[in-house]
Amino acid sequence: MSFLHINNVHKRFGETHVLKGVDIAIEQGDFLVLVGPSGCGKSTLLNMIAGLDSISEGELLLDGRCINDVHPSRRDIAMVFQSYALYPSMTVAGNIGFGLEMRKVPRKERREAVDRVAKLLQIENLLDRKPGQLSGGQRQRVAMGRALVRDPQLFLFDEPLSNLDAKLRVDMRSEIKQLHQRLKTTIVYVTHDQVEAMTLATRIAVMRVGELQQLGTPHEVYDDPNNLFVAGFMGSPSMNLVKARIVEHDGVLVAQVATGDTTLALPIVRDREALSDWCGRDVILGLRPEAITDPASANHRDGNIHEAELPVDLIEPTGADLYVVTTLGDASVNARMRPGTPLRPGERTRFAFDVSRMVVFDPESERRIRDEQVVDSALEETA
Amino acid sequence: MSAASPAARRGAATRAVLYAILLVFAVIYLMPLYVMLTTSFKTLEEIHQGNMLALPGEWTLAPWREAWGSACIGLECNGVHGYFFNSIKIVVPAVLISGLLGAFNGYVLTKWKFRGHKVVFGLILFSCFIPFQIILLPMARVLGLLHLANSTGGLVLVHIVYGIGFTTLFFRNFYASFPDELVRAAQLDGAGFFTIFFRILLPASVPIIVVTIIWQFTNVWNDFLFGVSFASGDSAPITVALNNLVNSSTGVKAYNVNMAAAMVAAVPTLIVYILAGKYFLRGLMSGSVKG
Repeated sequence: MSFLHINNVHKRFGETHVLKGVDIAIEQGDFLVLVGPSGCGKSTLLNMIAGLDSISEGELLLDGRCINDVHPSRRDIAMVFQSYALYPSMTVAGNIGFGLEMRKVPRKERREAVDRVAKLLQIENLLDRKPGQLSGGQRQRVAMGRALVRDPQLFLFDEPLSNLDAKLRVDMRSEIKQLHQRLKTTIVYVTHDQVEAMTLATRIAVMRVGELQQLGTPHEVYDDPNNLFVAGFMGSPSMNLVKARIVEHDGVLVAQVATGDTTLALPIVRDREALSDWCGRDVILGLRPEAITDPASANHRDGNIHEAELPVDLIEPTGADLYVVTTLGDASVNARMRPGTPLRPGERTRFAFDVSRMVVFDPESERRIRDEQVVDSALEETA
Repeated sequence: MSAASPAARRGAATRAVLYAILLVFAVIYLMPLYVMLTTSFKTLEEIHQGNMLALPGEWTLAPWREAWGSACIGLECNGVHGYFFNSIKIVVPAVLISGLLGAFNGYVLTKWKFRGHKVVFGLILFSCFIPFQIILLPMARVLGLLHLANSTGGLVLVHIVYGIGFTTLFFRNFYASFPDELVRAAQLDGAGFFTIFFRILLPASVPIIVVTIIWQFTNVWNDFLFGVSFASGDSAPITVALNNLVNSSTGVKAYNVNMAAAMVAAVPTLIVYILAGKYFLRGLMSGSVKG
C-alpha cells in the first residue's frame, strides 16, 4: 500500500473538466514534483490534496486513510504557499506557532517547538519581527517553518520559489533538498520549472491539461519519456526532435534523416522490437543535446557512437559548454560540445551521435514507440 | 539661487500667486471658526459693540461654563452637558456595532462567498443611496413596535441600520484585495471561521477601521434629523439640544453662550479627525512599505 495514493481523481468546475482522472502513488519519504505548463491542473491537484478544493470524483488516500471528506486542518498536512501567506499582524514566532496554538499545544511546548524549527532554518534572530520587515528569502523560511513546526505526515509546496530572484532560488532549492534528505519527510511540490523538478524530485509527475503524461524518477522522465510532450518539456535546452524514416538496411534497422544533399542513417539500438514494425514509415527522432557531441568527447566504449559531418550554423558558448547548432532534416539541432572546440559558423565538422540515447515517437499519436521491456534491460542488451 | 534663469523666476512667481490664492481661501474657510471661538470668549457687552473680528478685550470662560451647565434649553436650565453625554451614549455603540457588522459582512462577502453573494452585496450597497427622509416614518413605526421610541437606544439602532451599508462597502472593498491564501493557510493551521476573522483579518485592517470610525463617528455625531425625529426631550443628542438652546428665547440672544455650545458640539469630531487621522496616515505608510 502506497503512502499517498491519488486514485483516479477528477475535478470539474461547472462545465470545464480540469483534472481528467489522475493516478499517482508515492511512498513515504518520496519527494513528488508535479510539473507542467500553467493551466495543467497541478495547483488544483495540490489544493485538492490539501483539502482546499473539493474532489469531484475519485479517491485520495493518505497512509491508508481516505481523506476525501476530511477537513483540511485534520488531514495532518502542512502547506507552503506561493505568496508565503504569512499573517501580517503576527510576529515570526506567532506565525510559526499559530498552527500549534490552534491545536491547543501548551505555551511552553509551543515555544520550544518554534525555537527548534527556527534553529533548523536559521531564523532565530528574526522571531520577534513582523513579516513586513523581512526579505523575500526570510519570508520563505518562515513559511517553511510554519509547515515544519507541525511535523505533519505530508508537506505541500505550491511554487514556493517563484517569487525569489534567480540566485536566491538556487540557494533555497538546495536548502529544501537538504531539508528533505535530513528530515526524510514526504513532500508534494508544484512547479512549472522543469529544472526545479529534476533537481528536487525522487518522483516527477508531468502533467498537461488535466492529464498525467508520465510518472517516474527524474532519470526515467528525462531519458525515457512517454511522449513528445514530456520529451520537449523536460530538459533545457530541450530535446532535439527530427523527422525521420525507419528503414532496414543490410539487415540493420536504421533511422534515415534526409539532410541537404546527403542522407544520415542512424542505427537503431533501442526499442528495436517495436520499431521493426515501423519499417518504411515516418517517425520523429528525439535526441538530447548532450547525446550529440564532438567525436573526442563521445563515449566510444559501448560502440553506440555514429559519426557524421554536418554544417555548423551557430555557436553558443555558455562557459561550461559549447552549444553548436546544425541542421538535420528541416529542423535546427542543438549539440553540446566541449568548450574551446575550434569551430566557426559556416564550417563543416564531425558530430558524434550517441544512438543508444535516441528515442523514437509516433508522429500521429505523439506517443513513444518502445519495447514492452524495462529500459535498463534493453540498454544492457544493446551494450 | 545665484543666477536664476527667467524660467525659474517665472516658476517662483507662479508659485507665489498660487500660495496667495490658497491662503485667501484658507482664511475665508477658517473665518467662521475664528468668529465662533473669539465670540465664545467675549462678554455679551463686548459682542454688542459690534466688532465681530476683534479679539476679546477681556477673556472670559463664563459663556462656556453657562453653555455646559446652566443654559436654558426649553424650560430646563441645565446646559448641554446631559445631551453631550447622550450623544456619546449613541455614538460609541453605534460606531462600534455598525463597524463590526460591516467588517463581518465584508469578510463573508469576500472570503466565504456563497451563491448570490453579489446580489446581497448589491442590496446592502443600495441602502447607501436611500435618503434619510424616506425612512423617517417607517423607522418611527418600527421603533414604536420595539418600544424604543424617544430613547438613545432607539437612535443607536437607527444609526447602526443606516451605517451598515457604508461600513460593509468599506470593509468588502478592503478585504477584496486581502490575499485568499492567508485564509487558506489559516484553515490548514486549524483556525475556524471566527478565529480567522478576529486573529488574521481584523488586526490587519487598521487603515479601514480608522476610515470607518471617522466616517461613522462624524455622521452619527452630526446627525440632526434622526435625533430630532426619534429622540426629543431628555434623550436628545447634542445637535438637537444646540438647536433648542439657540431657539430658546429668554429675551436677549446670548451669542457667546450659543457659540460656546456650538464649539462643545463640534469638538469631539475634531478630536477624532486629529487622533484617527494620524493612525490613518500611519496605516497607509506601513502598507506602502510592506509593498
